[in-house]
Amino acid sequence: MGSFKLGKMTLSGLFKKPETLLYPVQTKTPPAGLKGHVVNDPETCILCSLCQKRCPTGAIEVDKKGRTWAINRFRCVQCGSCVRECPKHCLEMDPAYAPCARSVSVDVLEVPEHPKDAS
Amino acid sequence: MGKATVIPFGPQHPVLPEPLHLDLVVEDEKVLEAIPQIGFVHRGLEKLVETRDYNQFIYVAERICGICAFGHSMGYAETVERLMGVQIPPRAEVLRAIWHELSRIHSHVLWMGLAADAFGFESLFMHCWRLRERVLDVFEKTTGGRVIFSVVKVGGVVRDIDEGQFAEMKRVLEGIKSDYRQICNAFLKDASVKNRTVGVGYLSREDALELSMVGPFARASNVNNDARMLRNGGYAYLEGFEPILDDQGDCYARVKVRALEVLQSIDIIEELISKVPQGEIAVPVKGSPADGAESSNVVEQPRGECYYYARGNGTKFLDRMRMRTPTSQNLAGMVKALEGCDLADVNMIVLTIDPCISCTER
Amino acid sequence: MALQTEYLVTALENIEPMARERKADGWRFVQMMAVNTEDGIDLIYSFMKDGVLQNNKIEHVRKDDAVPSISGEFLEAFVFENEVHDLFGVDIRDIAIDFGGNFYALAQPEPMTVISPAQKAAREKARAAAIAKAERAQKAAAANAAYVADHPGAKAKRAGGVIVPSDDGVEEKLKGMDPEKVARVRAAMAAKAKRAAAEQEARKQAELEEKLAGMDPEKAAKVRAAMEAKKARAGADAKEGE
Repeated sequence: MGSFKLGKMTLSGLFKKPETLLYPVQTKTPPAGLKGHVVNDPETCILCSLCQKRCPTGAIEVDKKGRTWAINRFRCVQCGSCVRECPKHCLEMDPAYAPCARSVSVDVLEVPEHPKDAS
Repeated sequence: MGKATVIPFGPQHPVLPEPLHLDLVVEDEKVLEAIPQIGFVHRGLEKLVETRDYNQFIYVAERICGICAFGHSMGYAETVERLMGVQIPPRAEVLRAIWHELSRIHSHVLWMGLAADAFGFESLFMHCWRLRERVLDVFEKTTGGRVIFSVVKVGGVVRDIDEGQFAEMKRVLEGIKSDYRQICNAFLKDASVKNRTVGVGYLSREDALELSMVGPFARASNVNNDARMLRNGGYAYLEGFEPILDDQGDCYARVKVRALEVLQSIDIIEELISKVPQGEIAVPVKGSPADGAESSNVVEQPRGECYYYARGNGTKFLDRMRMRTPTSQNLAGMVKALEGCDLADVNMIVLTIDPCISCTER
Repeated sequence: MALQTEYLVTALENIEPMARERKADGWRFVQMMAVNTEDGIDLIYSFMKDGVLQNNKIEHVRKDDAVPSISGEFLEAFVFENEVHDLFGVDIRDIAIDFGGNFYALAQPEPMTVISPAQKAAREKARAAAIAKAERAQKAAAANAAYVADHPGAKAKRAGGVIVPSDDGVEEKLKGMDPEKVARVRAAMAAKAKRAAAEQEARKQAELEEKLAGMDPEKAAKVRAAMEAKKARAGADAKEGE
């Protein structure tokens, strides 16, 4: 029978760097491909609304007439299915997490007309 | 000789990590009978299958449980693939198995931390969770998520792991191994752990067989029903697989089985990394499941065997999706193990079945 | 040893004998569940032994049917039986640990039997699509029959390799499918063959005419005769190939 089986590990902890970060002062660089939040490039978006159809939570709303692309960050679950389905590859997962917010808001993006894509 | 009284236990009891309510019939300090009461977190996820198509439901399936999220998405995808007769590429199968074993490590180490916390060994709890954090970092780098990965899709996986990431994974696992051996040593040899666990909550092999127990709880009573023995999916690539069994049937045996399973999982991952086949990671899946088609499947989750059933109706929505999770199967065994124990040991026994009530109720 | 699954159908009266039999044979209880269908509720009892997963289905259980509990044989079934009772409203009697409808805290009774508007719409859409498909298949079949009647030679010419080789295999496959699908596949096949044959004919004719235009009449007649002979040979070859 023995006690202090963890003694060695606990003692060596005194001489090691801490495993944690002092958060607001130090921050971790997010690894590439982290599912942070969805961004859309309005220059290449053609408002095909495929992302709206594939979204499991109904977070994305595409208005073809008003030429807007809107995402409700509070509904989005970062599954990435819109990014995979996008035919123009204008959607992307940004590795930074979406910042905290005090109220539910919808991010609306104006998509300009691009005549050369009309064909 | 005292009179029998009923003590309500939970759902917000400080030592219980899950909303499990027990009505304990006690006489003096002895528990005569325990009646589990659940139903506080029923979310109706099985019903959601009617409004999400079979590709979208995968994100619902992995939200059944926060710890075995990957197992649920994998089990769901395998079941739908069986339903539609899709054969996924070998590389996808092995990648799934690797992630699944990694989540077993993270689940078991998390559980060991909680167990240490339950018997009042705070520093052991912190060391366990410190190691778990490294596994989560591996997940973060390879899947893009820490707990919910969204990396499985019907027909394969979404992301590939390249050689550099495999090397990194191996390096992290080696690091975990050396630290973990010391933690294991503390768990299995320390007197304060043994005092709380040896001989507590005994469940005989006969009872475990009688009650169709699954998972580490059954394996601690020498009942082998590890679904990995079926060698489905990526497990077919393993040279051999022997589940870890113990014949003591008490809380200590359950701690031991889980502790050794972590080391086994590390070995499995290292073997799979050396054998991962090259090639595609997904096949396109078109069409919808046929009307009336049925398929069922079992997957060995960290907590035990999980059963999946799917039925199609000719549309892209499934008619029924059912997950029978290991905890609901083990509830009867838990009631049996609680009979005749001391009141002070209740939390330890409940914890050693590793209850996941959100899985049970979905 | 890979997982094998079996699907069996039994009757409601058989539940208790089945449970006793499985218990005696050393099967392990896996789960019990319900599926809400239009004709009632299907109950599925699953057992496992030596890598065989057996699903026993009891079809179309109505709300007023009394279902015996198997928790006498398999105590662990009490969780699922209470669940099925609460979520589907199946009247399961004599559960070992009976919660009397209070197993789950629910906002509405029997939530799993409610058919959501989305599901209803999807079902109706599927049904309408199936009817439309059947109609289309019928029309196509009729058109095909008319075409064959109009062009008695069409079939012989087509024997040149457009449709014949795939016929047998497809027929085999069709046996295992449901009739609606079969009709659809047949129609599609007939249409495809017809198109292909027509195209081939047209192309050959055009080529031939083009060539013949530049030749003197005598030579043209010879070439025509040679072409006919070739076609006949090809047809014979194809038949032998069958």
